[in-house]
Amino acid sequence: MGQERERILDLLVSGKITAEEAGRLLDALESRSSQPVTAATSPEVRSTETPKYIYVKVLSAKGDNVNVKVPLGLVRAGLKLTSFIPQPAMEQINKSMGDHGMSVDLLNFKAEDLEELIEALREMEVNVDAVNGDNVRVYCA
Amino acid sequence: MRVPPYAVAVRIVEQERTKFRIWFPLFLLWPLLLVFLLLTLIATLIVDIARLIAGRRRTYTRLVVECLGVVGETRGTEVFIEDKERTVAVTVR
Repeated sequence: MGQERERILDLLVSGKITAEEAGRLLDALESRSSQPVTAATSPEVRSTETPKYIYVKVLSAKGDNVNVKVPLGLVRAGLKLTSFIPQPAMEQINKSMGDHGMSVDLLNFKAEDLEELIEALREMEVNVDAVNGDNVRVYCA
Repeated sequence: MRVPPYAVAVRIVEQERTKFRIWFPLFLLWPLLLVFLLLTLIATLIVDIARLIAGRRRTYTRLVVECLGVVGETRGTEVFIEDKERTVAVTVR
């Protein structure tokens, strides 16, 4: 798999394929490698897998493309750190977030909720098509 | 907990030719990180014991361990930025 991955990255950096195509190929490679040998290849089976990465893909009409892949473990570990924020600071964060329209109470954030949240991300897909042709896609896989 | 990233690869390609390529071996920093980590853990343990005696919850040692966990979880991060002239690829391995 490592060699195939390297090959895709080489194709990307040499300009033979676009970032979008590379992303699709890497996704396909990952979904293929994360499947157990005995598992069926139906979409229903694939959709039950826990997502491992969060992808952010920006395809600009002008040809400027950004492709970011972040391990969900990093999100998980980062959110765990919120439990170390002192209570007064957390209250201020909550207040500030509330003022900006995000009424999320970080004080009530528990490890179980975190797992549930990450599990729920499997279903999440944000796809924004701008009038000028730009496309932003956020999803987990 | 995952082991910390062992390398960061940066590649810049201009007009289908690799202009700049660097593979930074982070594992060379691991011994330094280990020494730093040990010293930090000793300090946090002392603080935590003092806080425990004072009747407060001990958290600093866990904080250090969790921070190390965050560093470890950066493995697998990939960033590609492409425009008409060049492509920049950063990979944490």
